[in-house]
Amino acid sequence: MGKLDNQPQRFFQDEDTGYPQGDAIKQQIDVRNRRGLWWRIFFMLALLMAIASLVALLATIVNDAFGYVVVINREDPERLALDVVAMQLLSASNTLTSEDDNELADGVAANPNGIGFFGNAYYQQNRDRLKLVAIDGDLPNEETALSGAYPLVRPLFLYTTADILSNNQAANVFMNYLLTNVNAEIEQVGYLPTSQEDLTFSQRNWIRANANLGLQPGQWAAINPSGILGNFTIAGSSTVYPLTDHMLAAYQAAGYEGVYNNQSVGTTAGIAAFCDGKADIAAASRPIQSGEFEVCRKNGRFPQEFRVGTDALAVVVNAQNDFVTNLTQEELQQVFTIAQTWADVNPAWPDEPIYRFIPGADSGTLDFFTDAVYDARLSDLSKEELARLLATNISVGRGRALEREQRFFENALLFESPDLWNEVCAQPPAARPTGCTAPVRSRDNIYDLLMTEVVKPDVVKTYTLLNSVLNRRAIQAEAAESYPNGDLEFRAWVNRDFVTNAQSSTPELAGVRTAILGSLFVIAVTIIFSFPVGVGAAIYLEEYAADNRLNRLLQTNINNLAGVPSIIYGMLGLAIFVRALESFTSGAAFGEVTDPTTANGRTILSAGLTLGLLILPLLIINAQEALRAVPNSLRQAGLALGATKWQTTWHHVLPVALPGILTGTILAVSRAIGETAPLVVVGASTFIALDPSGPFSKFTTLPIQIYQWTSRPQAEFRNIAAAAILVLLVMLLALNATAVFLRNRYSVRM
Amino acid sequence: MAIHTQASTFAQTEITAISLQKKPRVGEILIQGFLFFCGILSIFTTVGIVYILVTESFTLFNSQQWATTNKRIAVEVDPTMTEIEVGTSGAALFVGDVIRLTNEVMIITAMNDNIIVVERGAQGTTPAAYAAGLQIARAKDVNVIDTLTSTNWMPQLGQFGIWPLLYGTIATSIIAMFVALPVGLATAIYLSEYASEKVRSTLKPILEILAGIPTVVYGFFALVFMTPLLRSVFGVENVQIFNVMSAGIVVGILIVPLMSSMSEDALHAVPRALREAAFGLGATKLEVSLKVVTPAALSGIAAAFVVSISRAIGETMVVAIAAGSGPKNFTLGKDSLFGYVLNPFLSAETMTGHIVRISGGDLSYDSIDYNSLFAIGLMLFLMTLILNIVARYFVNKYREVYE
Repeated sequence: MGKLDNQPQRFFQDEDTGYPQGDAIKQQIDVRNRRGLWWRIFFMLALLMAIASLVALLATIVNDAFGYVVVINREDPERLALDVVAMQLLSASNTLTSEDDNELADGVAANPNGIGFFGNAYYQQNRDRLKLVAIDGDLPNEETALSGAYPLVRPLFLYTTADILSNNQAANVFMNYLLTNVNAEIEQVGYLPTSQEDLTFSQRNWIRANANLGLQPGQWAAINPSGILGNFTIAGSSTVYPLTDHMLAAYQAAGYEGVYNNQSVGTTAGIAAFCDGKADIAAASRPIQSGEFEVCRKNGRFPQEFRVGTDALAVVVNAQNDFVTNLTQEELQQVFTIAQTWADVNPAWPDEPIYRFIPGADSGTLDFFTDAVYDARLSDLSKEELARLLATNISVGRGRALEREQRFFENALLFESPDLWNEVCAQPPAARPTGCTAPVRSRDNIYDLLMTEVVKPDVVKTYTLLNSVLNRRAIQAEAAESYPNGDLEFRAWVNRDFVTNAQSSTPELAGVRTAILGSLFVIAVTIIFSFPVGVGAAIYLEEYAADNRLNRLLQTNINNLAGVPSIIYGMLGLAIFVRALESFTSGAAFGEVTDPTTANGRTILSAGLTLGLLILPLLIINAQEALRAVPNSLRQAGLALGATKWQTTWHHVLPVALPGILTGTILAVSRAIGETAPLVVVGASTFIALDPSGPFSKFTTLPIQIYQWTSRPQAEFRNIAAAAILVLLVMLLALNATAVFLRNRYSVRM
Repeated sequence: MAIHTQASTFAQTEITAISLQKKPRVGEILIQGFLFFCGILSIFTTVGIVYILVTESFTLFNSQQWATTNKRIAVEVDPTMTEIEVGTSGAALFVGDVIRLTNEVMIITAMNDNIIVVERGAQGTTPAAYAAGLQIARAKDVNVIDTLTSTNWMPQLGQFGIWPLLYGTIATSIIAMFVALPVGLATAIYLSEYASEKVRSTLKPILEILAGIPTVVYGFFALVFMTPLLRSVFGVENVQIFNVMSAGIVVGILIVPLMSSMSEDALHAVPRALREAAFGLGATKLEVSLKVVTPAALSGIAAAFVVSISRAIGETMVVAIAAGSGPKNFTLGKDSLFGYVLNPFLSAETMTGHIVRISGGDLSYDSIDYNSLFAIGLMLFLMTLILNIVARYFVNKYREVYE
């Protein structure tokens, strides 16, 4: 070996041995250490990247599952609930309704047990015949109205647009005249003045439309109406009418020379006319509603609100009535609905029937009264009330279709005529609508229908959590700017309703109950099938199988199966369970077809068996490991005592291996719960709102639901996909926690 | 005592009663039979998979597929007519073509401009009357050579080139391995060689959590997080909403835990003596890790790598959600190679993604779509099977060395 021979010689040459010396050693070691450090940092960064991915993944989900949303309801749910209250009022005993307030005043004046409510102006006209009732100790007057102590106070509004003001001089100057003088004049009409603050705000709106005058907010300039020409039209509330009428007369007296047209058609009709361009100013005894606002906007009119006064409703009794001077809000609620006699309200009062005089159903006054006195929520209503609401708010055709799907009541029909129904249901089963046999709708179902068919909440804009937290101000400003009639609310997309609601095509109302139940059903089938088979196979391979070619093939085969992509199992399931064994998996072979539209094998049973085959290799391998960990001495002891192989396995080996087997099974099952692709191939339903009822039902599962929602382009579907992912992850977490718990508990015992 | 009694009986009545031979226990035989059946079921599964994939693919390659021609008959046809005038638009027909109107198959025997002469009622079908304007379908044989060479996958037009789908699968897998190999391996080396026991026991569960998250969640992550990120980095106009890059990266993240845990097992299996010998010679920790332990564990790491590729190829939900929803058909030579064909920022459907999309719709049995899915499935199965066998070979190799 030439090299070795040479080296000692060089070593003895003292200088330049070829090995570094002194500082050079230190330098080289430094270089090597530095290189070591850099690589170490690289290795750590790789690990950090993996952790960062997990954090990013979870953050993305949470980011989309919470955040601000802007919701626009087609119908206000509170308004609907109040409609029910209004119906109760109208149908209470001894109740007389009239659109004419004078008639109501006469009625109360003529009946010693009468009680009624109407605009304060009419009470003022009939002071001698009527007695005003205090509410919670407060009588209506300017002071209690402004402080808000008296509850039955409503604002009076005029609506117009900046465009109209700048183009129609007559209307513009009238608004100026009105805003200048209304507080001084209003008490003559019987109404209460509005606060200075509100008036200033209205004036500011006027100033903005008249920018050419160069007024600063807070300043005010009265314009002299004399000599003003041109025509304009006011339409709207009968309550505001006396006020506008009075002001118009004064306007004319001050010198206006044009022609005005003042119509008392009711608030709703007035706003509609205004939005259609048939009126220049709308008079309203309530704020404009979001739907109305939207219509106006579509027609190019952006309504501006002018608060011009305050109306207090007067609750009055007959002048001879000496026992009622004050009513609490609760008593007031009873007096106009459930109470039959005065004694029902307060035992100290006479046992005489109450005679009620209230405005009719078309009046804004009734709506206002229910709104102010009653506290109604849609979710508190009974099934009957919800059904009645639904009936009054959807078309008969739609109602019939819903009723044919599923009836509303056992013994009554809501939309269909009984004759037609009997005729339809007499048809052979195939042609018969499902409503003939299906169970009646539950209260919750009708509530959901009401939401989807009538309220139709529409999330028009969503914000992510991060955005919601960081840019709250900007979001509030943007929402107010772009969606003036929408409600900005912070929404947790994953909430109680989301978990309990059935699937829906509207993301705002969709839930995952069907999907969760589907997942549980499918997993139940999977476990029932794969647990015994998997453990059996593991026992065979570990305890019984001799080391021969067949058994080695079995083992190799199982290992290979564990590496087959899950989607291939889906294709196997499709060809075998869904297609070849259709009569078995659809339940037809047992005469058990749950749903005639699905008798094609795409059922929970097929899905469960497919997933069973999928996790079988995993389960076998895990169980084998658990069995292998059992000490051999245990087996030998059993066998030595004369136990048979099976007795040894069953009584000694299996109990010891059980925690390991269970842990492995749970891990395999959590894999199955998260599987999506094979179930899509097997034929998960894209949309089912009915809960699965057995192994032969159509199915959808949580991951399938997530997949479908993720594939939709709309942002709200992404939000509910994130929410569904959270539900799925919680399910998996619970399962894995169970695995850890089992492992800990049983390993202690060993 | 029993034995005494037995002995006395024995003496009295010659050799009759008792035998100490093992008694056949029917119950145990049944149980053993059941256990064996459980074991053998996995063979049935494999046989079932191979059988259905092969037979359904065979059906496809033996079937006469009907491709739309966009050519319509110009006149009303009664059951006896053999000369039919056809419209001018649509694909050209030739003598000898087998065509179909509704359910009736015909063979073109002669042509004269827009008049075709046909043999009616071929292949045992019944001649019938047809209204003018009905579209003609033309028979097209599917063969394996075309499938393996053509670059267009359009089953409705009778084109079954596997390459567009194969491209999607290969592209996502390569990108995934570019992420998973360095990250997974480096993580494994860090955990196995550098990290203290305490760090290991805290960080490993995090990787296990990553491994336990369902793939559909990763799909959501790719679409909602990775794609917007790529679009903001490379420009919205350069990156399509569905793109191979985003799906590939996320598939890579998804297989990092697999890659790292298998590699770590391999590194762990390297005997301590090897490390200590290297340290004894003055090697630094890095040198021990990279120049001694890693080469020693190379076969195990190779197995991890191959299994990871197999997993990437079979991965479905991420690519179904984020990679694209249509095969990227291309023509070599005509389409720009780097601008279009190999551009990872464009959408391309993978084999698995295609199976999921097509079977998610209303799939009817024995249709072209149905059969073609099984052909893709067969291809997928073979690819992953070969990779798994290769991986097993590597695993066995390193086991031999150190056990």
